Order: sequence, then C-alpha cells, then structure tokens
Amino acid sequence: MDWDQFDLNPKTIAALKKADIKSVKEILNLSGADLQRLMKLSSADIQCLLKTVSHTLRRNSMLTALQLYQDKDHFTSQHQKLSLGCSVLDNLLKGGIPLVGITELAGESSAGKTQISLQLCLCVQYPYKYGGLESGAVYICTEDVFPSKRLQQLIEQQHKLRADVPAEIIQKIRFGNNIFVEQAADLDTFQQCLTRLSLLLARGMARLVLIDSMAALFRGEFGPAESARRARYLQAFGAQLHSLSTRFRTPIVCINQVTDAVSESEAAQCSCRVVGSRVTPALGITWSNQLLMRLMARRLWLPGHSPCTGSRRTLSVIFAPHLPPSFCYYTVQLEGVKGIK
Amino acid sequence: MDHSGRRSADTDGCKWDAGKRRDSVRWCFVLLASLEIGISREEALEALQVVRQECHGDTARTPGGSGATRKCTALELLEEEQTQGFIITFCSALDNILGGGVQLTKITEICGAPGVGKTQLCMQLAVDVQIPECFGGVAGEAVFIDTEGSFMVDRVVDIAAACVQHCHLIAEAQQEEDHGKALETFSLENILSHIYYFRCRDYTELLAQVYLLPEFLSEHSKVRLVVIDGIAFPFRHDFEDLALRTRLLNGLAQQLIITANDHRAAVILTNQMTTRIGQSQSTLVPALGESWGHAATVRLIFHWDNTQRLATLYKSPSQKESTIAYDITVSVPVGRDMPSWVTLSPGKDCTQI
Repeated sequence: MDWDQFDLNPKTIAALKKADIKSVKEILNLSGADLQRLMKLSSADIQCLLKTVSHTLRRNSMLTALQLYQDKDHFTSQHQKLSLGCSVLDNLLKGGIPLVGITELAGESSAGKTQISLQLCLCVQYPYKYGGLESGAVYICTEDVFPSKRLQQLIEQQHKLRADVPAEIIQKIRFGNNIFVEQAADLDTFQQCLTRLSLLLARGMARLVLIDSMAALFRGEFGPAESARRARYLQAFGAQLHSLSTRFRTPIVCINQVTDAVSESEAAQCSCRVVGSRVTPALGITWSNQLLMRLMARRLWLPGHSPCTGSRRTLSVIFAPHLPPSFCYYTVQLEGVKGIK
Repeated sequence: MDHSGRRSADTDGCKWDAGKRRDSVRWCFVLLASLEIGISREEALEALQVVRQECHGDTARTPGGSGATRKCTALELLEEEQTQGFIITFCSALDNILGGGVQLTKITEICGAPGVGKTQLCMQLAVDVQIPECFGGVAGEAVFIDTEGSFMVDRVVDIAAACVQHCHLIAEAQQEEDHGKALETFSLENILSHIYYFRCRDYTELLAQVYLLPEFLSEHSKVRLVVIDGIAFPFRHDFEDLALRTRLLNGLAQQLIITANDHRAAVILTNQMTTRIGQSQSTLVPALGESWGHAATVRLIFHWDNTQRLATLYKSPSQKESTIAYDITVSVPVGRDMPSWVTLSPGKDCTQI
C-alpha cells in the first residue's frame, strides 16, 4: 500500500515503512501499544494514525434512517424487493424477498420448495415495475438434476400466471437464456461455483442465486465427530454468500431440507416454531445464524383429498427482522405457484 | 514560578476578613515576583491571573469529565448513576429485571438464537432512546452499527410510529403543558433522522468504525445509545488465528467501555449462540468464547421455551438473576393506512405494573 497518499505526518509514514506495515488491515489488527512499540512513535501520533486510516477506510458511510427510508433509488433502496410473482405471497412477505441477505426456504420433500424457486428464476427477469430485477438467475443444483422440463412448462404458462404484466413484455423476455444452471455435488465444486458466481454477478448477468439444496452438500461428508469442521465450512460459505449478496445487492435463496426433531428442546434450539410440526430445518444453529430470514413450506394432508388433486400447502415466515411470524396457503398449479386468500 | 509560596501564605492564620486577606496575599505575591525575577508589577499581576484561571479551569473540568485524574466517592457515583436515567424498553417486565431499563454508560450484551428478537429489541431501543424527558425518556439520539444487514428501515418506521402514538395517548390522558410542546418535535421524521446508521461489512470496517466513534459522538453530543448488531458475525468466520481474535475483541470491548463512559452512552451488543458439546448433552451458549463473557457489564439471554419467548438476565452487577416471558406482539392500530406494528410486550405470564 502506498502510504504517501495518506494525509499523514512524514515522520509517521517513514515509521510505517520502516516497521514494514503493508496494509490498513495490518494496522487495525495491532493494538495501539503494539503500534507504539513497533513504530517507536508517541501515543498521540499513533492515535492520529489510527484515526486517519479509519477515516480512509470508512469515508462518509453514515446514513440516517430517514435517508434509508426516503431512498427511492433502484440500486440502494431497501424498499426494492424481489417479487414471488403472486400478490398473495408478496403480501405475506411485504413485497417479496429482500435483496441483501440469505433467505432460507425449508420444507419436507414435495412441499413445493423447488416450484417456488423456479418461479423466482422467472420473476427476477421482469422489469423493476413488475417486481423483477431485470436480470438473470443462477441455479446451483446439489442433489437432483435441474428440472428443465418443468421450467419450460412454466415459461409457456407465464402469460397465465402474470396477468398483471402486458403480454408484449412477457413475449420479449427470453426466459430460458438467462438462467444459468450449475451442478455441484461436493464442497470443492461448490467452492469453485462460488468463485465463478462472483464473475457472473459482477457482469450484471444475474441478480438471484438459488442453491438447491444446502443440506445435500453436507449430508454425507461429515461424521458426528467432525462437527467443528462442518461448522467452519458452514460459516465460511455463509460469509461468502453474505458478502456476494451485499456487494451486488443480489438475493441468495437457499433451499434446505428438514429433519425430524428428536426432542422438543431441539426444535426450540433451531428456532423453528411451527405449531404442531415436529420437524426442524437441517444444518443446525450454525447455519441458522447466517440467515436473514427463514421461510417454511409445508404440505397439508387433508382427509378426503386424494393426493393427486392439487393439495393445499402453507408458506410460513419462521423469522425475519421485518416480518411477524405468519403464514398463508398456496397451491401449485400448471402455471405456477399461487397464494390463496 | 510555582505557587507553593502563595498557598502557604494563604493558610496563615490571619485574622483579616477573607476579601482583604486574598487581596493582600495577591499583593505580596506581585511584590515578591517583581523583586525576584525583575519583572514589572503589572506583568506579575498578569502572570498571576493566568495561573489562577488555569487552576479554576482545571477544577471545573474534573467532575463529570473524561480525564484519567477523575476522583470521586462512591456516594457521588451513586448519585450520578441515579440521576442518569435509563432507556426504557417498553416492556415493563424486561425493564424490571434490568432495574429500570438499559443503563447509560454500561455495556449490555443481548444473546440469542436467530429469530428470537435481538434485532427487534435493538431497533426498539434506537427509537426509545429518543423519547422526550417529560415522558421519562432520555431525549437522546442513536448510533446503529449493522454488521449483518438486518436493519430493516420499514420496521423501524413501524416501531417509531407506534412509539409516537403511544406518547400522544399519554399526553391526552395527562394533559400537561410540556407534553404538548415535546410532542411537536417528536415526530416520525425526527426520530428517523436521529438514528445514525453505519453498515460494516467485515471486522476491519467494524474496528475502524469503533476508532471513529469518539469523534462522531463529540460531534453529535446527544447520542445516548450505540448499537452493534451483531458483534459475533464478523468475528466468526475466516479466523485461523484465534489468539488474534481474542485480542481484537478485548481491544474493542475496552474502547467501547471508554466511549460509553466518556459520552454517557449505553452500548448494546448482540451475540449469537453456539452449541457447546458436553459429556452427556449439548447446550446452547453465547458465542465468541469464555473471555468475551467479561466484556459486557450486563448480559441478557433470549431463548425459547416451547412457543414462549423468555429473557434471562444472566449477568448484572446490580440485579439478581431472573427470567421473564415476553412477546413480540403484532397489533393493528385504528386508522387507515397504518401498518401493523410489532413491539416488545410482557408475555402472558407476567404481571404488569
């Protein structure tokens, strides 16, 4: 790092070079007393140095809550959300999925998780006006192959699902071309995937990342004795996804499986409070700590309904900083996922 | 020029009245000085005045000041603490176990599993710290340092609107003059513009921000609350060197303690929970390790008991350990276009005062 560019006393700059300190991070990693010893400067000089480098790192990063609230800009506003393509579901989430942060969609198999995520892949391509982000999506499959047949079906039916959007706009979007599918069966390929991902996001070709599913990556790899290593991996991935999401204002949606809760207290620990449900999302509290919000999809088995007819499902908010715990019903039909009032 | 001579002359058992004595002592000093160092009497008088002013300045600065030379008795400290006031949480049970609310000049740590309501309480406090004095608040401002990106302004708006409405209800019920005056400026926009939001993406940004805090707080002298939501997230990944982590966290805690004291502000930190695997069963404990436990003066743990949210006061110098139930309630106020709001309230098992 070129210290001469900093607004510092020449004496301090000389001392920095002599002490072989190369980055701002290195300075901040040392305590004031350590710096004094290393650079042989007075404590006042060190205080001044710390203030100057902190200023350069932070610049004017302060915003008031009022500025955040009144911000109408597409690229910074908190009001901008990714729509789910259905007004009932959007109402449940107060507009949709927040752009910054990791959203988890948990549920039993056949609850409709993949259906919702496929729909999100299409919704993200709509103009801002219709709840989209005018960009593509990356779909990372870790267990099954990508359901491309179903995707084609959904694309054909878009005009039925999105009656709110003029037909010529729907026709103009080439839905299939903007969905990038990745396969990652183990942790190493997943890591490579994330590296490629940052390139794709930097070029603005995608503004949604779907991971189907997180739990499959970790299922076979770790024995019970390796929980500490597993936790480190989860934290590292969580942090990487977090930073991608923040840098590119791109929502990350992770699908997660559920496991049966062995005890009531275990269910409580994973903060999954679905009344009458004995399942908890997989991957434990380490993963839960990485999330902004957690949604849970469930399929209801109503007596008198045969499994073949469109059965009722619920989508519930388990936790989110801006939403109360609530739920709504939805069905999966030929044209897509629809909420029921 | 030392003033020991002056002081001993001052304490001489003279029988003159105080005013005369002071004058004559001053005159002696001027005469002596002009004789000994050969300056004129006017110059000596001027020098004396400078010395006196400096002495006075010093004594005026020490009480309540930030200097390391500050000395006071336990009684003075007690009185100071009693007049300081608290940030009320709007949940009477929670206020009770905390001994009145969140204490100024202290560090309070809130630990809890995701989704239990840590961020909710932080956002609530950022609004509550601004309640005018006549309503029992501290009429301050808030700094919100967000490391996780979970600060949702829409929700703050809901909480602030609810708080304003609550104060209006109190004012209507009590009909006091100063209430009306205070409410004129206590509006939604005012509240929002006094929450200073900083987003820190990694731990170096957080450290830098904390270095800059004293300066910011000097410029914004009304800030009474600093929230760091959450302290754990930036320190829980990519740290190969755990000794470095401990050292950085200790340094951070030290700086926060000094800042809290110097600027009479409360500091709120949120921490994650982690699993500690014991011999027979595993338990949830606050993250960041054992030594971090010393950082906060007050430690509050939020947890679940089946479907009930519980708050346990785990560490406090003045209050006994206790557990209360609380809810995060959703209520829809009357009136059109008003959003439903969510605030902390005592749980159903609690008695309200």
